Amino acid sequence: MTELVLQALFSGVLIGGVYALVALGLALAFGAMRIINLAHGELVLLAAYMAYLVESRTGLDPYFAIPLALIVVGVASWILFLLVDRIKDHRELNSLILTFAIGIILTNAILLLFASDVRTTSSAFLQDAVSFGDVYAMRGELIAFVLALVLMGVLWWWLKSSWYGRAVRAVSSNRGAAQLMGINPTRIETVSFLVAGALASFAGIALYTMSVVQPATGHALTVKAFIITVLAGVGSIPGVFLGAVLLGLTEALTVTFASSALQELAGMVLFLLVLFFMPNGLFGARARRG
Amino acid sequence: MSHSASHPAAGSPAGSSTARGIALGAGLLVLALVPLMVGASPYMLGLLISALILAGLALSWALLGNLGGMVSFGHAAFFGVGAYASALLAARLNVPVLLAIPIGGLFATLSSLAMLPALRLSGPYFALAILAYAQIFRILATELDWLTGGAAGLQRFPSLPTVFGLDLSERAGSYVLVLACVVLFALVYVVIRRSHVGTALRAIAESEDATRVVGVNATVLKTWMLLLSAFIAGVFGALNAHIIGFLEPDYAFSGIWSVMPIIAAVFGGYRTVLGPIVGAVVIYLFDQVVAKSLIPVGHQILLGIVLAVMVLVAPNGLSGLVARLFPRSEKHHAEA
Repeated sequence: MTELVLQALFSGVLIGGVYALVALGLALAFGAMRIINLAHGELVLLAAYMAYLVESRTGLDPYFAIPLALIVVGVASWILFLLVDRIKDHRELNSLILTFAIGIILTNAILLLFASDVRTTSSAFLQDAVSFGDVYAMRGELIAFVLALVLMGVLWWWLKSSWYGRAVRAVSSNRGAAQLMGINPTRIETVSFLVAGALASFAGIALYTMSVVQPATGHALTVKAFIITVLAGVGSIPGVFLGAVLLGLTEALTVTFASSALQELAGMVLFLLVLFFMPNGLFGARARRG
Repeated sequence: MSHSASHPAAGSPAGSSTARGIALGAGLLVLALVPLMVGASPYMLGLLISALILAGLALSWALLGNLGGMVSFGHAAFFGVGAYASALLAARLNVPVLLAIPIGGLFATLSSLAMLPALRLSGPYFALAILAYAQIFRILATELDWLTGGAAGLQRFPSLPTVFGLDLSERAGSYVLVLACVVLFALVYVVIRRSHVGTALRAIAESEDATRVVGVNATVLKTWMLLLSAFIAGVFGALNAHIIGFLEPDYAFSGIWSVMPIIAAVFGGYRTVLGPIVGAVVIYLFDQVVAKSLIPVGHQILLGIVLAVMVLVAPNGLSGLVARLFPRSEKHHAEA
């Protein structure tokens, strides 16, 4: 019994790393442009299918797909930005509908190109079990988790120390003032969409190596990223990470003690509870009220 | 056919809102009579019934979007709850079908109550909350198999009855009934929009804070719009269930029921009453007749493209295009 709990907790934390990457990408694009990219989960999905493409065609390890995924998802994210940037009227509402439409297009394009089958890595190296006393993990899960931690560290450093990162924060907090300081907001928005695309690329490949993907996964990921945002607020990287781990734990415990069919439901219930009782998020981040 | 039939109403120049209301009713009536007069094939009538179901759903989506200022990505929840509630009431408790359908709508309203805390969230967060929320009901319908029959679905529940000699379970009868419901709710929409409530809601859309200052409770009005929108969606879900006579969670709560009304309403112009209805008929026929034959699996990609192009090129939809071609004097576009 304890072993089951420990195993569920361990798996939950590991998937939480990838969830955090997905949620951070969503938050980054939102911060800069005040626009929620409903196609963000589909960008992650696109990267996962690039990993599948490389692995199934060349037999290489999925992580060799990183350059391809960065290019494809980067271009997709950039096009997405250019399209969203064209919207002038009722920007908030129309951009939601537009990114939703792009999500539909991407999901169905993936469905057309790769069929609806469930895909995951066939690499024996990544699927090997590693034991830590009583709990086990796939090597792929561990690599993905470490990768997620490293990327969060890099992102934290980038936002804190680099000129572009600071400019992104400046535009997020006050667009007009940032512009007066000589920052070109459009350029910064482009950069934040590209960085969000890069995060999505790594998240997608990591997801492919530790879990399964299918065309419907993209939409589910967008929902998960949103649930995490509600749990954590859009404030900080550590907050998003904690929210992501909490979601991962909730899902893993539900699968262990109830059924895998209820996995998504557990996330929703958590989400509704927070929405009802702690509308400012678990970690007291900035208000989201209208 | 239906498209051109309703064009005169959408494009009527100038004119008072009463004249346009009459034109709207007349357009819909023409729409009603044409298929029955030309003796459309059962296949064609079947398509039109489904298109009108979608029209009702698109109308309820547009009501929430236009009057309530909220984008819903989760109308499938209300549609499915209405369908299951009505079917189960008719099958298990022998509630007459024509009574079970509006009660199904009430259940959808009830289910929307769980969304109320999300009303405190601003625009994009509300949209995402309802996106997440819609999934809950599909999972519940699958898991609560003692009630819903689970994934296997629900098959034995009564179909529509015969009223005044008109067999509503026949295609022609179903068509008339669904059309009557679309017209009824379109009129309800028009009445609300003209009322003080409609004026207040338009003011809220302009500036919620300013409206609050003059003593309008924006949250209460938005709540009413959400409840009404859920009711309408639930009624059409119930109608659809009794017409097709079969329900399963993956069908009744399918993402299609969230996606299609958005595409239909945006395509037709969601800031008008007629736009979503015309949009639904055009989009549904396009999807079933053209898109499905071009791309059997993944035909939604074409709908996604249509939606993206409309938002970018003509965010006010067909009715916006029509208004641009036949400009109306001194009319606010949001009211068109």
